[in-house]
Amino acid sequence: MSAHRLFTRLRQLVVLALCTLPVPHAHAQAMPENQLKAAFLVNFLKYVEFPPSTSSTTTICLFGGDTLGPYLASFEGRSVAGKPLRIKRVTSPDQVDDCQLLFVPYTEEARFAIALRWVENMPVLTVSDADVFVRQGGCIALANAEGRMQFDVNANALSRVGLRPGSQMMRLARQVIGARK
Amino acid sequence: MMNKPLIKHAAMLAVVHSIFVAPSFAAESLDEMSLEDLIRTEVTSVSRKAQSLSNVPAAAFVISSEDIRRSGAQAIPDVLRMAPGLEVAQIDNGRYAVSARGFKGRFSNKLLVLIDGRSIYLPTFSGVMWENDPIALEDIERIEVIRGAGAAAWGVNAVSGVINIISKHSRNQTNGLVVPTIATDGKNSLYARYGAQLDENTSWRLSAHGRHADPSKRATDGEKSEDHLRNAAVDMRFDKKLGAGSEFTLWANAFNARLGDSIRAEAVPGLPLTLRPFAVQPENTNQTIAGQYRWLTDRGIESSLQVSASHTITEIQGFFKENRKTYDLDYSGRYSFDRHDVLWGVSHRTSTDDILAPTFYMSFSPKNYTQRISSVSIRDDWTLIPDTLQLGLAGRWDNSNLGGHTFASNATLMWTPTRSDTFWVKHASAPRLPSRAEQSVSIYSAAQPAVPPFPAVIMRNSSDGHLKAETMKGFELGYRSQLSPSFNIDLAAYRYRYTEIVSGMAGALSFELFPLAVTQNINLQNAGKGSITGAEIAADWLLAPNWRVQLSYSWTQIAMDDSSNPLVQGAGVAYEAGTPRHYGSLRSQWNIAADQQLDAWVRGSAGYQRLNAPFTDLVKVPGYVTLDLRYARQLGKDVELAVTGRNLIGGNRTEFISDYLPSVPVKIRPSLSLSARWKF
Repeated sequence: MSAHRLFTRLRQLVVLALCTLPVPHAHAQAMPENQLKAAFLVNFLKYVEFPPSTSSTTTICLFGGDTLGPYLASFEGRSVAGKPLRIKRVTSPDQVDDCQLLFVPYTEEARFAIALRWVENMPVLTVSDADVFVRQGGCIALANAEGRMQFDVNANALSRVGLRPGSQMMRLARQVIGARK
Repeated sequence: MMNKPLIKHAAMLAVVHSIFVAPSFAAESLDEMSLEDLIRTEVTSVSRKAQSLSNVPAAAFVISSEDIRRSGAQAIPDVLRMAPGLEVAQIDNGRYAVSARGFKGRFSNKLLVLIDGRSIYLPTFSGVMWENDPIALEDIERIEVIRGAGAAAWGVNAVSGVINIISKHSRNQTNGLVVPTIATDGKNSLYARYGAQLDENTSWRLSAHGRHADPSKRATDGEKSEDHLRNAAVDMRFDKKLGAGSEFTLWANAFNARLGDSIRAEAVPGLPLTLRPFAVQPENTNQTIAGQYRWLTDRGIESSLQVSASHTITEIQGFFKENRKTYDLDYSGRYSFDRHDVLWGVSHRTSTDDILAPTFYMSFSPKNYTQRISSVSIRDDWTLIPDTLQLGLAGRWDNSNLGGHTFASNATLMWTPTRSDTFWVKHASAPRLPSRAEQSVSIYSAAQPAVPPFPAVIMRNSSDGHLKAETMKGFELGYRSQLSPSFNIDLAAYRYRYTEIVSGMAGALSFELFPLAVTQNINLQNAGKGSITGAEIAADWLLAPNWRVQLSYSWTQIAMDDSSNPLVQGAGVAYEAGTPRHYGSLRSQWNIAADQQLDAWVRGSAGYQRLNAPFTDLVKVPGYVTLDLRYARQLGKDVELAVTGRNLIGGNRTEFISDYLPSVPVKIRPSLSLSARWKF
């Protein structure tokens, strides 16, 4: 067999092998974890009632190591709660004034206390993807539970800063800690 | 039969289709999903949470605990093979040469390794003894590999990279777990742990692991080598939350590692000079205790104070015994205001050794020494344009009584034109402190056989104890992009300049072994210089919700300056030839079903040359491509069984020829293992 024909055969074999490998198929209802988290953040803004604000945008702020920015990019500019959605990275407490939601990734667990301090007494929905977050005073924690993304709510943390969670959100939460209002 | 162009186009289309369309959702449909839809949506089963690094302005790679488990590896260095820019070569059953961006050695002195912020870099030989199994794979939460000069942030010796091993929080290990593994060539291991939550704020975990391996076969004659491995370790972690942002963590670790070695250094009586291997019994033990307290002041200053003490005995029975006690104190603070994020730190280390070297092969002077290193560091990440442009400036000053003052700097400009794209350019400098051995050992290091009428020559290295730090300065360019929700890519290119590299200068001849050999004295000096250029690619591709593929590739080239001194020139040639030009890996993680995983890992290295230690000629270490396969099946909720085949093709190779201590090269063979994980 000539080298050329051998090469052709080999290539056909590779294509054949590729065909036997798993292919994207019926798992339409599955999403990369970070993409799903981004969709949750945008959704939470729709299920929580915020006090009236003069801000011209609805703003999701990202604390520390930015893990969701690329996944939130496609939502930017869309109308959420009647205002265009803006995404913003924050690196100091002087930048959080216009945040409606502050996302603190689990990789920043050692800094949860300072993140919460930055938005203390402000009507900001604090969300993390570490389930201990709600026990440390955060509002919502996302958790991957057996292949589905679930969330826990700290009702006290929300009411303390004047946020009113919708009843549907409370019903869908995996766990609600603190008194319901 | 299909014609060629059609096959080509079909394959191409399939590739393009799956990158940009297949498993991702259009924003429109996501937008319309309600919270109820979202909690019903499955998460892709091969997710790697820790991977996202979109705004880290450094060539960084994260290995998650899931990656570690799915690698089927039994030792940390085998896990590190997946990180771009790291070169890993197995020496024997437990010893590995691991380096970042070139200059690989049994003691790769330009790479710093930290476990929970504590250095495991051995100051005696400037490097990490991977054979000690300093932490069990099961206790690792993630490994962050940051290539490039990291000394300004992580400390001296983080010259070409730093490996940060981060242990699991005890809160996440509050149950029992037993992991027994049996494998061919007696490569058996056992891990067991138990942990509990004492109250909402307090948790602890205790783990133990042991590993065994039968001796390998020597590469030269296939006879049994001496690398019989018997390791054992216990590890404890305790965490307590004290409220208001303060937290306390305590670690305690003790290990005993015994891994035989066979050294090519015993002279056979008579002429001409020949060397034969002789067996030695190294044994390393260590106990470490460390505590960390983190707190937050009312003004918003984050602080962390870490104290650690360790006692290490490193021994090669009959030849070398070092008793070392090390105390570390580290404070770091952080304050964010306006557009600044400022971090600062002070640290001090005192390390006292007592070295016994009873043979004529090597001697230390002085025999005991206390090294003291103090450092001050500061860093500011300054946001010039929010969400778009950030400037990072960092500096660190160290003072050691063995090596003097050093300064490390880092200036990084990060540009994020879109949320999915990050570019960075970095200029950094980093010092590598000369080791205790380089400063004070006198050792017979190499030999040249007799070429009649000249007798054999034996080299004896020594130094006058006045070596300075090696320094590295250079640029790095990087680009990282999330091209689609299911595909991201990371590119880095760098050029560094090394100066003051520790190398030998020929000194006087002496004749105490004549006529068997003449002794050439070699004085170590800061005489080497050179440049290194390289590029790395890492890509992560979710082909389907249950199938992920990851690629890493590194290209490296070293060009040392020519020197009129033949020893410096020779060392330069060895450095240039000693780094494989190409190094890479391709991993596939496929979840066949909810309870079944099939992982495949193809990895390889180009060939390169190594000193045929203890002789001074270069020998070829051939390139290789090999394959690992792992199949795991979940049995019920609490038990997983896994079968792993490692080095399935291209086995029986040599990956490295040990320098410094010229161990006999051994064959790296295919292996098959069966492992169970039982949670209770």
